[in-house]
Amino acid sequence: MSERRALLVRLAPALLLVGLAAAWLLPDPASLRLASTDHAAADGWKAALDALPDEPTVLVGFDPDIGTYPEVRPTVRTALADLLNRNARLVLVSLTPEGRALLVTELARLRRAGANPARLLDLGYLAGSEAALVSIASEPPVPAGSVGEIARRLADEGIGAVDAAVVVGGNDFGPRSWVEQVGPRVEGLPILAIAPTVLLPELQPYVASGQLAALLGTPRDGAAYRSLADLGSLNRLREVSEPPLAALMLGLLIAVAVVGQAWGGRLGAQLRTTGRDGREVG
Amino acid sequence: MNGLFGGATADVVATWVAAIVTLVVLGGLLGERRLFGWSQHLLAGLATGFVALLAIREVIGPRLLDPMMAGGVGRLELWVGLALVGVAAGAPWLPRVVAAVPVSIAIGSLAAFALGGAVIGTVIPQLVATVAVDRATTLDTVTGVAAAGVTGLVLLGFLHGVPRGRPMRAAAGAGRWLLLAGIGGWLGYLLFSRLLLLLDRIGFLLGDWLGLAR
Repeated sequence: MSERRALLVRLAPALLLVGLAAAWLLPDPASLRLASTDHAAADGWKAALDALPDEPTVLVGFDPDIGTYPEVRPTVRTALADLLNRNARLVLVSLTPEGRALLVTELARLRRAGANPARLLDLGYLAGSEAALVSIASEPPVPAGSVGEIARRLADEGIGAVDAAVVVGGNDFGPRSWVEQVGPRVEGLPILAIAPTVLLPELQPYVASGQLAALLGTPRDGAAYRSLADLGSLNRLREVSEPPLAALMLGLLIAVAVVGQAWGGRLGAQLRTTGRDGREVG
Repeated sequence: MNGLFGGATADVVATWVAAIVTLVVLGGLLGERRLFGWSQHLLAGLATGFVALLAIREVIGPRLLDPMMAGGVGRLELWVGLALVGVAAGAPWLPRVVAAVPVSIAIGSLAAFALGGAVIGTVIPQLVATVAVDRATTLDTVTGVAAAGVTGLVLLGFLHGVPRGRPMRAAAGAGRWLLLAGIGGWLGYLLFSRLLLLLDRIGFLLGDWLGLAR
């Protein structure tokens, strides 16, 4: 490697950060838009929520991971606000420590923003992953000392008190486990999911088979839902900042260029070797 | 609110701490390895502490000790649970055969539930949805057959040893290429997620910490 190339390689991360920071500061170009023009996923999500009874009780499985949460966070916040705006009672539970840490943050945010605490019941962290889901599928464990209508109904009726499950998934634990463990045990319970794009290949088939009632699995579907969601007086719960499109586009172009350069370099070397071998044989 | 100008003291302190740690991690990208190494130790320590706190405050306390105190002394399963907690905590000083018991129970039950769930919740419903139902359109049928074909080829790609016969070798080779294509697509998704994470951190530094508006 030449000295100039070595210096470039050393400086590349700094240049990337400076370039992305500069692009972040730019206003989003009018020609770029994150929300999908195909609203099918967002419409499916809204239709699944519209199909719920009045003042539904919704079990929220909150297990995103820190590495992918920024991707789904604006959609998650809008979805929670949307549910509260529909007078839903939210029963929140985490099955991973990471999910629990993020849920604590979101609950604190909801409290600070003035969300009605009577509409929220925190079941806390449940250990046991799949085994914990099996227990949720029969009797969601209500913490001792919980008061209020949600806690009473959940203690009396068990999972029968729940009208739908909304699962926020991550790399460790997500909608697939809910579909596998809760779906077969609780007939007729619609499971809706918000997940990062990396989970899309494993979750898409569940939407096609009807095992997932709705899925927001890409940033563009999330953006489409956010643009459609009417949060009424709870609009303050919406995340203010949207992903910076110019910076996103720049980052993707750089990624494509790096992959293309690696492929091009390998292809070029292969062609040179083949040509040299051909000349030697000739 | 941003870390440099105004806001409640706790918020300002939290923003500053988060900004410094973010800068340290980004510094690792630029070659500053020592501080980055310390930040990794800090993360590991905090994560361990958090998990321990979670285990004590949200599992062992409310689901094991509290029920015992509240008159559950006669419940056998609570005593079994308490014994398993004791064995897990004392694992470094106990014979391997004894120390392995709680871990074995955890892994065994997880595997059983996961495997059972995969069959009942995924394999059978997906097979039914893909193959054994009337499809509304020809395209759906073709898609279903193609999915089954790709699945078969990829499974053949996992055959160990030398496959017999040329067609089998070709099918296994095609399966491996399809698998690589799938992994490539998945890496693309992963790259997108990580790019959003990086932009989120940059946005935090510029917006929340420095107070620059977009």
